[in-house]
Amino acid sequence: MTGGVAAGAVTAGTGAAADITAAARVVAASKVYGTGDAAVRALDAVTVGFPAGRFTAIMGPSGSGKSTLMHCAAGLDSLTSGAAYIGETELGALGDRQLTLLRRERVGFVFQSFNLVPTLTVAENITLPLDLAGRSPDAAWVDGLIDVVGLGGRLRHRPGELSGGQQQRVAVARALAGRPEVVFADEPTGNLDSHSGGEVLALLGRAVREMGGTVVMVTHDPSAAAHADEVVFLADGRLVDRMTGPTAGAVLDRMKAFDGRGGGGAQ
Amino acid sequence: MSTAAESARGPGQGAGPGHGSGPGRGSGTAPGTGAAPASLRIGLAGLRAHKRRFAGTFVAVFLGVAFLAGTMVMGDTLRASFGALFGDANSGTDTVVRGADQIKAGRGPGVREPVPTDLIAAVRKVPGVAAVAPDIEGAGQLVKPDGTSLDTKGPTVAANWIDDPRLNPYHLVDGRAPTRPGDAVLLRDTATQAGLHLGDTTLLRTPDPVRIRIVGLATFGGQDKQGGSTYTALTTADAQRYLMPRPGEATTLKVRADAGIGQAELTRRVAAVLPARFEALTGQQASTETESATAGTFLTAFTTLLVVFAGIALLVATFSIHNTFAIVVAQRTRENALLRALGATRRQVLGSALAEAAAVAVTASGLGLLGGIGIAAGLQALFPAAGFPFPDSGLVIKAVAMAVPLAVGVLVCVGSAVLPAVRAGRTAPIAALRDSAAESVGVSRWRALSGAVAGAAGVTLTVIGAAGTTVPAAAVGAVLTLAAFVVLGPVAAPVAVRVLGAPVARLRGVTGRLARRNALRSPRRTAATATALMIGVAVVSLFAVLGASMKATLNQTVNRSFAGDVAVNEPVYGAGGSGISPRLAPAVAKLPQVQQAVGLGRGIAEIDGAGRQLTVTDPVALSRLLDLGTVRGSLAGLGTRSIAVARPEADKHGWTTGSRVTIAFADGQRLPFTIGAVYGQADLAGDYLMTRAAWAPHRTQDKDTLVAISFRPGVSIAAGKAAVEKAVVPFGSPDVQTKSEYATSSAAGINTFLTLIYALLALAVLIALLGIANTLTLAVHERTRELGLLRAVGQTRAQLRAMVRWESVVVAAFGTAGGLGLGAFLGWALVRATDSSGTGAFAVPPVSLGVVLLVGVLAGVLAGWRPARRAARLDVLRAIAAD
Repeated sequence: MTGGVAAGAVTAGTGAAADITAAARVVAASKVYGTGDAAVRALDAVTVGFPAGRFTAIMGPSGSGKSTLMHCAAGLDSLTSGAAYIGETELGALGDRQLTLLRRERVGFVFQSFNLVPTLTVAENITLPLDLAGRSPDAAWVDGLIDVVGLGGRLRHRPGELSGGQQQRVAVARALAGRPEVVFADEPTGNLDSHSGGEVLALLGRAVREMGGTVVMVTHDPSAAAHADEVVFLADGRLVDRMTGPTAGAVLDRMKAFDGRGGGGAQ
Repeated sequence: MSTAAESARGPGQGAGPGHGSGPGRGSGTAPGTGAAPASLRIGLAGLRAHKRRFAGTFVAVFLGVAFLAGTMVMGDTLRASFGALFGDANSGTDTVVRGADQIKAGRGPGVREPVPTDLIAAVRKVPGVAAVAPDIEGAGQLVKPDGTSLDTKGPTVAANWIDDPRLNPYHLVDGRAPTRPGDAVLLRDTATQAGLHLGDTTLLRTPDPVRIRIVGLATFGGQDKQGGSTYTALTTADAQRYLMPRPGEATTLKVRADAGIGQAELTRRVAAVLPARFEALTGQQASTETESATAGTFLTAFTTLLVVFAGIALLVATFSIHNTFAIVVAQRTRENALLRALGATRRQVLGSALAEAAAVAVTASGLGLLGGIGIAAGLQALFPAAGFPFPDSGLVIKAVAMAVPLAVGVLVCVGSAVLPAVRAGRTAPIAALRDSAAESVGVSRWRALSGAVAGAAGVTLTVIGAAGTTVPAAAVGAVLTLAAFVVLGPVAAPVAVRVLGAPVARLRGVTGRLARRNALRSPRRTAATATALMIGVAVVSLFAVLGASMKATLNQTVNRSFAGDVAVNEPVYGAGGSGISPRLAPAVAKLPQVQQAVGLGRGIAEIDGAGRQLTVTDPVALSRLLDLGTVRGSLAGLGTRSIAVARPEADKHGWTTGSRVTIAFADGQRLPFTIGAVYGQADLAGDYLMTRAAWAPHRTQDKDTLVAISFRPGVSIAAGKAAVEKAVVPFGSPDVQTKSEYATSSAAGINTFLTLIYALLALAVLIALLGIANTLTLAVHERTRELGLLRAVGQTRAQLRAMVRWESVVVAAFGTAGGLGLGAFLGWALVRATDSSGTGAFAVPPVSLGVVLLVGVLAGVLAGWRPARRAARLDVLRAIAAD
């Protein structure tokens, strides 16, 4: 599927041109770990935008750089070269404190595991970023969120008393509580069974389609990616393809092709 | 960052060696050969991988051992150098002649019968005697050029100058020996301190002021100073006149032998010619006695005190070391479970944990010994600067001073690790597969119950002991109470942390709330961490309460008993002064402002066979200035053959007015006396009153320790005091004090003592803080992912630092509050239990305890500083990814 690689490069170019409405984007983003012989190029001149009001999934085989792309786009990690933007803010120009403030005010996070602070109650976990910022939560918004995630009866519980799926739904509510410009989710269903995972993905979908949010999700699960509006494919640190209106079958086919190609590329 | 890397590496390294040799041979077949090396290697690998975790333990052991070793080395060094000093100084004296009987009362030096100088002729005739010299020693305080007295904390020695240079331990280095009346030789350091120079004239308070002219400067044993004492030498005639009660007497005689005659032989020959009341001893024996009487007693008390505080520091260290090991074992449950799953026996896992502890113990204790030698060397350099005696000579490092601290350090460290190591050995292999592996956080009912029982029993016993002034009961109760505090710590921790953390949570928002919740996570861990600080703070508070109560008692005594307006109060020999001239009271009494002035002198005599301290005074005048309570019998009729006794003392011996007693004086006389009066209150007057007339024939160097003065009606305290101050100038301007000043100055010694105690306890508190810091570091390590999450969702570094610091503050506040409560309670018990007369006061010093609380909380901030900084440096991504 060499055509896929070429198509990817073309798509990246058009993506950059359509960046006016991107909630987050990276431009010519490269990330290199280590130096000399040990250097690993995790991201190789990737340019991609994540449009506002859309649910974008980042897919790729292990080691394709998808997590690195998300971390750099979200301001958790820094690029070796290139630029990352949240809205029109260039992240490379920000110090640790400014990045932290940006994260808590403009970005939401859902991680694969260990998403909640065990000493805080469900309610406290949901408002944690707001509390850290010293902002008082928008009560109607937060109440609405709690309704949507369906945990109204569990607000005073500690995370340890919830199932994994329930914990992840709390994490989604927390990510949305401050009405961030973009929510980044890193394998949010990786530790869940398919039913709980489905609930979490549906929730992320509703956040975009009913609440007008923007979600960027890293996953290696084709059926998870099928919940997104668009899927971008990464391989060997490069953007290789995009797919709008994905289905699990189509994504799986594309991935199989990468696996064959990836195996060859690793020589 | 290193924490995350460390944890990623840990299990791999730990499991490696275990996999290699453990499973194959470990179980049953050859545990002796196979088990030990594997355990050792696993333990050492664990240690290498987690060096930072043991830093706190290492430092705690190091400090405790260093302090103990330093104390012992310093004690040995001081003892040796004092021994050398006294030995050198008296090397020219072969025999000493002195009164055979010594009368001692309390802890004072005691008195002996003076030796008549008539004996010199007889001794000189003994074959083999080369020279004999009278040695006269008393108290003499120098007056500085500004008119005030030279006040050092040591003895103020005045003596005669012995012309025979080999009998005289002092050597002239400037000027000449005293020959004419008023001539004086000063120790060079004494002259420097007083600001006096060759040719100056000044007053010497013996305590009667004597005008002297400085004609020479001397050294002692080659040194400018002799411990902390001042030294003034007069001519023998002057010394006899001012320092001895009668002419023709000396304190001792010093004898030098002809060449070829040994000390023992000479002493035997001299003893043969002495009357029975006198004895001869070799110069060597005399040196040893002087050394043990002066340096020895002081050194023993001082080093004992230091060792006790080293013990407290080590006890505190035990708690924080135990806590560290317990946490480390809990954090390593999965690693240990993996070892067990791979076939390591319980003994191997236990062995590896102990090997780790032993390695830390031996290294830290070994370095602690070096640190101790360093401390001793530092003190040797520091003491002279602080005006403390510390002759410069090499450090004396005895095997015991090294072996004991080393053994104690290893024992404390390994002993603290035993329980956690046993727990490590019990790890079930299945624990490797469980998701989270924290130690059990719950508090068992057994703990609550046994703690409550011990607490109730302890408090009850303590209160009973305190109420009944039975010290043993109170002591057992105190130990039980302490144990109950330790046991109940985890039960109390949740409540205490909630209460103490409430203001933090309210004021600091989510940061404070997180800090409080973190402190609540494991009540056992929080309590164990706080316990170390609690013990330190409890001892501090106990002493604060004790000191305040002693001061309050003194104050109360002065207020109750002192009916005068001002007092002239001076320390006596041994306390940095020479007392007050007996001529001062009559001189002050002549002032127009003064109604009455009475001096109180002190004497020592044996009453019915036991040494007692007498107050020598004018009993009638005294009864007007001090409240003696109800007096039965007549103070006015005491005369020369009766004494007055305080009621508690009289009751103890079954005496009433008219009872007969025999009093033996230092001059060898034994006389029958009658109890002429019994008075109610001993407070300031003392237990026995004797008239000056009765004392005069037997007196030693005459001095008063206190002069009580009342003013005529209409004379203000200020005006009266000014007049008295002017009148005492010729007497070297001793301190004139109002009633409250008198009470305060009486308590000055308590403050000095408390300062020393606080300084010593600082070490224990420091170790406790290291414990808090260490626990926090381990907690930060354990919560790496959580911290990463907090940072990811927007906690700033400053907020994270504040969170860790506030947790530290809450734990420290818990320990401090517990310590304050425990210390105040035990202080109360101690004050009550030891107050047999029932007249002592109990006082809680709010300011001191407030300072302790503040220091405790600030210390919490300090303890949290480094862990907070380390936590804030965590890399967000790696923290989230850490497992």
